[in-house]
Order: sequence, then C-alpha cells, then structure tokens
Amino acid sequence: MAIYCVRRILLALLLVWIAASTAFVLTRFAPGDATFVEEQFLAPAAREARRAQLGLDRPLAAQYAGWLAGMLRLDFGESSLYARPVGQLLRERTVNTAILAITALLLATVLGVPAGIYTGRPRSGLTVPLVRGVSVTLVSLPPLVGSLLLVLLAARTGWLPTGGMTSADGSASWAAWLGDVAAHLPVPALALALPLAATLERLQSRALAEAAGEPFVDAARARGVSSRDALVRHAWPASLAPLLGLYGLMVGTLFSGSFVVEVVTAWPGIGRLMVDALRARDLFLVAGAAAAGAMCLATATLITDVLHAWLDPRIRERA
Amino acid sequence: MNRQPRILLTLVLVAVIVGTGYVIWTDLAKPEFPSAETVSSTAKPTRGGRLTVTQRSEPRSFNRLVSLSAATDVFTQLTQARLVRVNRATHELEPWLAERWEASADGLRFTLTLRDGLRWSDGAAFTTDDVLFTFRAVYDERAASPIASSLRIGGQPLTVTAPDARTIQVIYPAPFGPGLRLLDNLPILPRHKLEAALEAGTFARAWGPATPPADLAGMGPFQLVRYEPGQRLVLTRNPHYWRRAADGTALPYLDEVVLEVVPDQNAELLRLQSGEVDMFQQALRAEDLAALRPLVDQGKVSLLELGVSTDPDVFFINLRDRYWARDPRRGWIVRRELRQALSHAVDREAFAEAVFLGAAVPIWGPVTPGNTEWFSPNVPRYPYSLEQARALLADIGLTNRDDDEWLEDEQGTEARFTVLTYRGNLVLEREAARLAEDARHVGLALDIVPLEQNALVDRMLRGDFEAIFFGYNATDLDPALSKDFWLSSGAAHIWNMAQATPATPWEREIDDLITRQSASLDPTERRRLFAEVQRIFGEQVPALYFVAPRLYMGVSARTINLTPSVLRPQLLWAADTIAVTP
Repeated sequence: MAIYCVRRILLALLLVWIAASTAFVLTRFAPGDATFVEEQFLAPAAREARRAQLGLDRPLAAQYAGWLAGMLRLDFGESSLYARPVGQLLRERTVNTAILAITALLLATVLGVPAGIYTGRPRSGLTVPLVRGVSVTLVSLPPLVGSLLLVLLAARTGWLPTGGMTSADGSASWAAWLGDVAAHLPVPALALALPLAATLERLQSRALAEAAGEPFVDAARARGVSSRDALVRHAWPASLAPLLGLYGLMVGTLFSGSFVVEVVTAWPGIGRLMVDALRARDLFLVAGAAAAGAMCLATATLITDVLHAWLDPRIRERA
Repeated sequence: MNRQPRILLTLVLVAVIVGTGYVIWTDLAKPEFPSAETVSSTAKPTRGGRLTVTQRSEPRSFNRLVSLSAATDVFTQLTQARLVRVNRATHELEPWLAERWEASADGLRFTLTLRDGLRWSDGAAFTTDDVLFTFRAVYDERAASPIASSLRIGGQPLTVTAPDARTIQVIYPAPFGPGLRLLDNLPILPRHKLEAALEAGTFARAWGPATPPADLAGMGPFQLVRYEPGQRLVLTRNPHYWRRAADGTALPYLDEVVLEVVPDQNAELLRLQSGEVDMFQQALRAEDLAALRPLVDQGKVSLLELGVSTDPDVFFINLRDRYWARDPRRGWIVRRELRQALSHAVDREAFAEAVFLGAAVPIWGPVTPGNTEWFSPNVPRYPYSLEQARALLADIGLTNRDDDEWLEDEQGTEARFTVLTYRGNLVLEREAARLAEDARHVGLALDIVPLEQNALVDRMLRGDFEAIFFGYNATDLDPALSKDFWLSSGAAHIWNMAQATPATPWEREIDDLITRQSASLDPTERRRLFAEVQRIFGEQVPALYFVAPRLYMGVSARTINLTPSVLRPQLLWAADTIAVTP
C-alpha cells in the first residue's frame, strides 16, 4: 500500500509539472503579451521598457529555467496583472474556491445520491420520470446558463445576494463573516452543484439498479432480508464504487473548472483568477493557477484512488 | 416507463421552455429609448450615505503614473487631484489644486498659484514640493511612466519650478495649443509617501495593490480604507478634502464609495436591477435598456442619456505598401476608391438600427458630434448608394467577370479580404457582420475572423493584417492631445503605424496641419486647421466610421446630483458632488 501511495504521489507531482509547464509555454507563445493589457498604443520605447520590467525580454529558456527554479522553492514569481506574488494570490483564491467547491460537493451529494437511490429502485408513478427528466435537463444545462438563471432568480426575488462572497459592510467577527459568506454561497454553490447532483443521480440510479440484480442481493433476500434492507445494506454499498471514481474528477473539476460560475457570480476564486490571467497574458499567474488546478485534481484523484485501494483488496494486490 | 407519464413530462417541459421564452421575449422586444434630456432626481443633495458602483477589473496599481488601466484611472479620480481639471461636462479647463493661473503672451510660461492651507488625506501639508516631486517622478527614466510621453512637447519635458511657497511655474519648450489642459493627465502625488521609492529606483512598483491603505495619501474626495482582492475597494470621505458646494457644504456629499468588482456585464445589470448597486461604469448596451425599462417605470432606476459617443468603432484596411508587395490584390486593395465604395455601400441608418437598435447616429469620420468643440459637419459624406459604390469599384478594375456574386480584378483575383475583430465583443461582431453583408451587395467578399483581444492587438502592432474592425479610444478630445492617431509617425496611426516619413502626400499634409494646429495659441485658427484635417481625412478615408452610438447609463433612483459626461469615467469624474437620498 505504501509503495502504491508513493507511486501515486510521484505521478501527481509529474501531472502538476506537466500542466504548469504546458500552461507556461503555451501562454508564452500565445500572440500578444502582458504589455497589451493596459495600453494598446504605447510608444515603442515605453513598451520595451515595460517588457523589460516584466522580464518579457528574456529568452523563453531563461524565463522557464528561472520560473522552474522558483517553483522548486515554492516561489511562483510575481503576477504582472496584480503586481503581487503569485503564491499569495493562489493561497487567497484557493481558499475561496475551496469554500465554494466543498459546499457544492456536499449539496450535490445530498441532492444527487438520495435521488439516485430513489430512482434506482423499481417504482411506478410520475415521480421517477420527473426526477429523471429534471436530471437530464440539469446535466445538459451549460454552467453559464445555469448560473445566469440563478442570478436572475436572486435578482428578481431579492431573496439572496446576486454575487460576491461577502457584503461591503465588513464583518466584525468570524461568526459574522461566516454568516455573511453563507448568505452569498447559495447562488454559486447551486449553480455548480445542480449539474453535479444530476450526474450523481443518474450514475447512482444506474449503479444501484445494476447492483440490485447481483446474485448476492438475491441471496440476501432469500435469507429473509427485506427488499428495502437488501437494497440499502447490500446493493447500495456495492453501487458506490463508480461514484467514488467520479468524486475524484468532480473535485478536480470544481477546483479548476468553475471559472464560468465564478465570473458570473463574481466569486473571487481561482477559476476567475485563471481567466483574468489568461486574458492578461500573465505568464507566472497562468502557470501558477494551472499548477494549483492540477494539484487539486491530482490530490482528489489520489485520495479517491487510495480509498478505492483501501476498500478493494484486488487493487491493493495489483499495486 | 409508462407512455402517459412520458407525455405528461414532455408537456410540462415544453410549457416551461415556452413560458420562459415568452417572458424573455417580452422583456427584450420593442426597446424604447428615453428622450435626450437627462432623467435624474432634483432632490437637494445632503451629506451622508454610501454609493455602490461596479467595475469590471481591479487596479494593478494605485499609482496612476505607472499604470494606465481603467481601474487605476477611476481609483485616481476618486482619491487624487490635479493642478487643473478639464470639466468633463463642459470640456472647459477649471482651477483645481491651483486656484488660478496666468499665461505669458508667448504661451510658453504658466504661473500657477496653489490654494492655501491644503492637506493630504493623512493630514500632511500640501506644498509646492509635492508638485515638483510629481514632475520629477513622471520624467524619471527608472519609473518608466507610460504617461511621460504625453507630458512632453516635441519630445522635450516641461520645466517646472517653485519660485515661492504657493507658486508653480511651468515652462513649455515650445508653444502648445491646449496649454494647461496637458496637466489634467497628471495627478499630484505625495512626496512624503513616495520619495524614498523614487530615490531607491522602485517607484514603478510603489503603491502596488498590496499596499496597506495607511501608506497611501491623496488630495481627492475619498481615501481607500479597505481593499478585498477580487471583491471590492471601500473608500471613505477624505477628512481634509478642500472643496465646498455652492451653499458652503463641505464636499464630498457621500460618506463612502464602494467599488464592487463584477467582471461580467450581465451580472452587473442584474445587480443594478436587484438594487444591490447604484450604478455601473459601462454605458448600457441597447438591449439592456429594454431590461431596465420596467424599473424606470417603477421609479427605481433613472436612465441618463450622456450624448453621442466620442469613441466610435472603426474599420480600416492595412495601408502599408510593404504588406501587399507580393499580393495579387495590391493593385486595388490600398486604393482610396475601394474605401470610398465601402463607405457608399453601407446604409448607416440601417446599420444603426441593426446593431444599436436605433440608438446611434451616422458619422463620416473619427470626430463625432459628441465632440462638440472639434466636430466639423463639413466633411465629405458618402451617402448610401450601391450604384456609386459599384462605379468606384469599376474604376479600379473590379467587376464581375464570372457567374458568382463576387467581383474580380483584371487578373481574375476575387475581391475578397479578411477582417479581424474582437472575439466576444458582441457589438463589434455584429458591426463586422453587418459591414460584410452590405459589402456583399456590391460584390466585395469580407471574411470576418473574430480574434481574442490580445491576439488582434499583436497582429495590428506587427502590421500583420488585411483589415480590422475594432474599438479605439482617443486619448483626449483635443486633437493636439491625440497626435499619436493623427501623425504618420504616431503609434496609434492605425492603418500604417509609426512611419519614418509620411507615406503619402495627404498624410504629409495632415502631419503639417496637426503640427501647426498643436502649436497655435489661437482657438479659432486651431479649429480651422483641424476642420481642414477632417476634410482631408474624409476625402482619403484611411479609416471608415459608420455610426456613433448614443450613450446611456442606468443609475439607481436614489443617486442624485450627477454630472454626466460622454468621457470616461462618465459619472465618477465628478464623484465629490454625487449624493444619495436617504
């Protein structure tokens, strides 16, 4: 198991390095540079001076070597867009995204898994097709449309703040801050959670239906276990394996791919930071944000793989 | 699944989609534009309250001398002050930190008298040393200030001295028509806060966004008290602000201004609709007006018509001979007749209707009627006429020589070229598509290629493009302060940038006129010379302008005492007099 974990950690570090380096090189080769953000028509001398200030006049190899050496010391360089250390920006924004992602994940689980268990059981009536219909609609709803609809709902009803993470009044205490953040969470968290909940519902439903047909569930019933208990205690645990695999990907997606929701709801997370950095050709910030996203994805998949291995002896043996 | 539930479910979903579609459609249909008069409450302003404004991005520096970003500009308008200010509503120069000035007869020497007893927001005394320091900083090579070039006349810096404790003398190296207007671009910075950075050569990095608010100081109406990255900037009243209203009330009226960072315009609009914010800083899109109409009817939002935009979008063909040297289209692509034909081919009224839902006026040059001081109505116009367009194209050898709908030249090369525009800018994409459609009617094929903004600017600066349709913001309404656009050597002479010598006789003529116009001290003569520039520009049409949108802004009904301007920042430039009703 220890060897398995070490191997997975090394693979995770390799993934982070590849993602960050690719982002660095692609951004460097993308047309335009950070000096275009503020002023398109700078005098040539002023533009060259600005490029020199930002270190953009150095060759790619020198830039990359400097950045990589910094990365090894956990120094991600300085953002040209925000004129602040990238590490500092990533820490701030990763925490904000983590708050949003964990809430969305919990919401998705609380809504999706029970709904999947409900629809996975053979039933008659309107409810099951209705839940399935809603799930299919939510799965196919693009994040931009979903988040805009929720913001529109919040704006029209006035029940919730339409965006941001806290209110402008500031918070005197931690409790007040938490309350403030909690008030701002529903719109972005639901925008992220609803499609995921729908995905979980679909997966759980199918996995449960398959597990319910397995011989060991029939055997349980034959031993006198009630149908409900056979489903919940025997079939459901067995149906969790595919869900567990999905969680790793979902966490990674939430951390690295929530930019649309963050932009629309003005949530100051890492997704929005990445979008701003890409637009501004902020080399170090793009690479840093890519590294952070890859790190989250790698960590989440690592944890789920380890859990998998822990739950399933066959995987441990293969490892 | 049973058949009946499926049908029911389908019916429910169809009903939801149709219902939502109907609501959205009725919201968007039939936009109505308010009349030209400004709609705003006339309630008497009183002190107190908070104004919440959205902005798309965050300042990358709190120091205007090293950052040209729009966010830094707004922050500077709120927190800093200049010696003199251009009133954005009247376009007149008015006293600001300097209470009066005198100019020498030759227009080279300006003597400014500072107001007495002024203090920075941190309580330190404002002195002539601060003015001298600011000039030293802006010209410091290590600071590499992007505004330094705009504060030079003929490449030479201004000479600034302080003969006594309240007097500043500014000596220009050559006569300059706009005179002290030049100084509107220069916020005065506190020597006591920034001199150490200038001496250490770190001025370019001083006052970055991580600077604690206590380390900043300004002479503007507000001071920063809190910056929450990614979320907002909170500014409160500057306790030492010097201005008073006509009735003696100490300004600013507002206790607090909150700049909420909202990167998406749809989200900004929704926040205004929900009452979470009082205004945003972008002009409304035509379709936004319809969305705000119900709130205007309910008295919750006021619509302000600012006037005709002074920054219309522009279409231009690459006029560098070098670019077309080996291209089979070189015989006609840079010809004036092609540009004139395109101008004739565009039905500007229909263009305004299609792109701006009617909220735009036809124009024939870069200076729009919104620029009341410099607009010349006597420029050549190209009325909508497909016949005239076809005749001009025939003059340069473009006729239809086969069975398709496109023209060809004598060698059989199709009259086709690529137009780059910004991806994601819906107005520009619509404008470019409309132009291509109109050009198609006279047999010209324009292939529209939307590019990400940075990529487009990169192509433009390298001169690697056939044609571009994009938005260009002039530096100033006064042509002498936008010389980069007019002069053939200018970095913003978009159709053929930074020429060593003028490529054409008419560019040489414009260079000469602009140079004389810039150096003249006689306003009438300056207007005459610039009218001549506009006439030549209209004849040669190196860049084509079709319509200028009317600018509208929406503000919450509680926001009063606004002084709107067509220039950015349209409302916050006079933030000290804005008030809110309780």
